[in-house]
Amino acid sequence: MKSKQSIFFVLMIFAFIAAISACSQKNVPPPPSFGAQGQEYGAATGGPMDDAKWRELGINSEAEKREFLEKAKAFENEDVYFDYDAYTITEPAKKVLDEKIAFLKRYPRVAVTIEGHCDERGTTEYNIALGERRAHDAQQYILSSNSSNLKLTTVSYGKERPAAVGHDEASWAKNRRAHFVLNY
Amino acid sequence: MSQQFIIKTVRILSVLFLALISLGFAKASSALVELEISPSAIQRIPIAVPDFKYMSPEQTQLAREMSDVLSNDLNISGVFRPLDRKGFLEDPQSMGLEASEIKFQDWSRQGADFLARCSYQVQGNSIKLDGWLFDIAGRKMVGTHKSYAGELRAWRQMVHAFADDIMLMVTGERGVFDTKIAYVQSVGSVKEIFYCDFDGNNPVQVTRDNSIALSPSWSPDQTQIAFVSYKDGSPKVYGVNVHSNSSYLISGFPGMNIAPAWRPGRNELAVALSKDGGQDIYLVSPTGQIIRKFGVGFGASISVSPSWSPDGQKFAYVSNESGNPQIYIFDVTTGQKKRLTFNGNYNVSPSWSPKGDWIAYSGREGGAFNIFIISPNGSDNHALTYGARNESPRWSPDGRSIAYSSNKQGGAAIRIMYSNGTGDWQLTRQSGAQELPDWSPRRNRQ
Repeated sequence: MKSKQSIFFVLMIFAFIAAISACSQKNVPPPPSFGAQGQEYGAATGGPMDDAKWRELGINSEAEKREFLEKAKAFENEDVYFDYDAYTITEPAKKVLDEKIAFLKRYPRVAVTIEGHCDERGTTEYNIALGERRAHDAQQYILSSNSSNLKLTTVSYGKERPAAVGHDEASWAKNRRAHFVLNY
Repeated sequence: MSQQFIIKTVRILSVLFLALISLGFAKASSALVELEISPSAIQRIPIAVPDFKYMSPEQTQLAREMSDVLSNDLNISGVFRPLDRKGFLEDPQSMGLEASEIKFQDWSRQGADFLARCSYQVQGNSIKLDGWLFDIAGRKMVGTHKSYAGELRAWRQMVHAFADDIMLMVTGERGVFDTKIAYVQSVGSVKEIFYCDFDGNNPVQVTRDNSIALSPSWSPDQTQIAFVSYKDGSPKVYGVNVHSNSSYLISGFPGMNIAPAWRPGRNELAVALSKDGGQDIYLVSPTGQIIRKFGVGFGASISVSPSWSPDGQKFAYVSNESGNPQIYIFDVTTGQKKRLTFNGNYNVSPSWSPKGDWIAYSGREGGAFNIFIISPNGSDNHALTYGARNESPRWSPDGRSIAYSSNKQGGAAIRIMYSNGTGDWQLTRQSGAQELPDWSPRRNRQ
């Protein structure tokens, strides 16, 4: 009986914290998605899409739509990683970017925001500048190997939106990234 | 928030004042000389600050409160060392105010070089404050008797004004007691701009955008704060009038718009932009007109964090063109750039001192970040802090102190230290985390 009460109490606290953090995050740029969290694509930019919009992306059937959504999920969930205080596109990063290029060759009409991020070390301004270089260089890599007129924009968050919140190399490595967000 | 009180100063000896000090007050003048030579040689001057004398039985609790504020101001100045009141022999309410009534010998025995004596009179919603500064060894009043009058709720600013006058009389230069410190306050992932008085009192929230606001920078006239915000999705530079709270876009070019730094004496700002693909430092008007691209960028290098020299003819900034971030100086007149820092491989956040003699910055040593100062010619590089994460130094307008952000007491907060690294104290006491301070210029006084 007592333990049930305390579980209920703990749940109430969690609900309260969740409510508070939901309130305090209004208008904040959406946190980057990572991992398989089953996000609903398109929801962030205004609910279900009408047929005309799908056709504009070159999608003409339910099967093609399912294929697109699956590929879009993989596209958004895979980040490009960088070394400490660096924005050189490494060999593993090229592999990931080549997959992005393949996706964009198939769906050249989709708009993409490339976010540049950094680990928590160093100052705010330098990290925004560093994240800008990461996003910019990832963008240039894609543009240089794709002749179509892509809708790519970049934004740097510096160290302001970490994907992992730990204070160790494992977390820092996850945070030194270019993250891709689709807008369709 | 314009002037809430009037400063009426009886100016009797204004011109001859410094000469008098050097002739008559040998002890004080020797301290003056040391102050000018080197911050590490500061010998603080002992000063007695008894409770203020109330001239009417209203608001008697202010007798102690105002004395506390004055003592704290003088202590923060780094010039004075207020004595412990417990050693004082006289009852502050019966003790006199004029030179003829001051027991100089008693104060001398108690170790005081100076005595700050004040009285106040409250009438309804207004207050009049009178202040005298006495030189104990010289057995006379220093400078002139000061008088301040205004609304009762502005009493704190009047005490700050007397502290400013004491600094002016003893050192020849005003204090920083009417200045503000802007900073970034974060709760969760939301960051807003705040500012508070130089002593940490009266925190005021400036932005309410529920976004990420960063890098506050005061305008030279202390009326505007430029800052960076993501409220429109990407980092853009905005300005806000701190009196009306109305904000406006300064620089909203494609890409990154960050690191605003108001140019001293001019209505222009340096900002770091990436609008042309590469990063560079630009000079813009407060409405975002590009006045000049400085051309400090080098290929794909990073260029960020400009900080102006006091004459506005040079700025220090961060570039990684050597392969890692270092401080450089750009000369606006000649168009020449020169690398300043060579120790370590991560030196960022330069801040040029208001007298031009130092550039403070944050440098990485192993896993720690510390505050360093270096002369603009590259000599005398040395650390002021040790361990922890100490970042984003910004000078006080008199160059005696440095505000910076630090996690040495756990969560990130703004701290203040003298420019020799001593006297460190915590400015911000809010919950959440505080970072990226910027110390305002002084307000002009009539």
